[in-house]
Amino acid sequence: MIEWLSMALLLVGAFFFFAGTVGLLRFPDVYSRLHALAKADNLGLGCVLLGLALQAESIAVALKLLLIWPLVMAASAGISFAIARRADRLGITPWRQERP
Amino acid sequence: MTTLVLAVALFLLANLAVALIAAARGPTAADGMLVALLIGTTGTGILVLLAPVMHLPALVDVALVLALLAAIGGIAFAKRAWQRTEGEHD
Amino acid sequence: MTLAFDLLLALSLLWTAWRTLATPRLDRALVLFIVFGLLMSLAWARLAAPDIGLAEAAIGAGLTGALLLDAYGVLRRRVRP
Repeated sequence: MIEWLSMALLLVGAFFFFAGTVGLLRFPDVYSRLHALAKADNLGLGCVLLGLALQAESIAVALKLLLIWPLVMAASAGISFAIARRADRLGITPWRQERP
Repeated sequence: MTTLVLAVALFLLANLAVALIAAARGPTAADGMLVALLIGTTGTGILVLLAPVMHLPALVDVALVLALLAAIGGIAFAKRAWQRTEGEHD
Repeated sequence: MTLAFDLLLALSLLWTAWRTLATPRLDRALVLFIVFGLLMSLAWARLAAPDIGLAEAAIGAGLTGALLLDAYGVLRRRVRP
């Protein structure tokens, strides 16, 4: 049971990483790429970490794995904020769809 | 089980390589930095996945350090290095 | 599958190293240098040397990358005020 749950979580994590990469490649400007990257990749990493923590051999290892997630989320939020604010200050305008 | 973990690690590495090739041709300097951000997250994932495959629990510590120091690089880029260039419009 | 992983890692490592040296723009080269450090630490992990991987991630990618980016910013400000 735990085995299957862990496998499913790993696959879901891989899917979210894939979604983040597609967003990075396909989105039109810095802000939307940042949004795709920061959200999808962190969710994918969270799923992968949870899946690995389920099959860890001891509780300490599982806790250490789960400890990485808040750290990565805080770091990613900080970088995303800094990059977006810098882009705004440099005068890069957000992308808008042209009206037909 | 180990095969699946290794397969997911390989898939993440393929993701990373594709993003890398795309970033080298991106228009602005920020694209490169976004890829550094991506590699911080994805690299952490790959290292964490490699730990049970290779029976090396110490790789989790490497993943921690990688996650932390990718943040320092990103902040240094945004605060110090990224300046206005003339011909650069997004 | 292990072989595929190693081959892909080595290829992207070589490609990043070449792009770092051949890119004309300095800021792009610095970002690629950071990426190279991260990939290198993955390679050390794959070679079953987590301690060297740790040092590479901390010094090679993190500290040197941040210092180089800072130096680039200072240079830019000094050349073109």
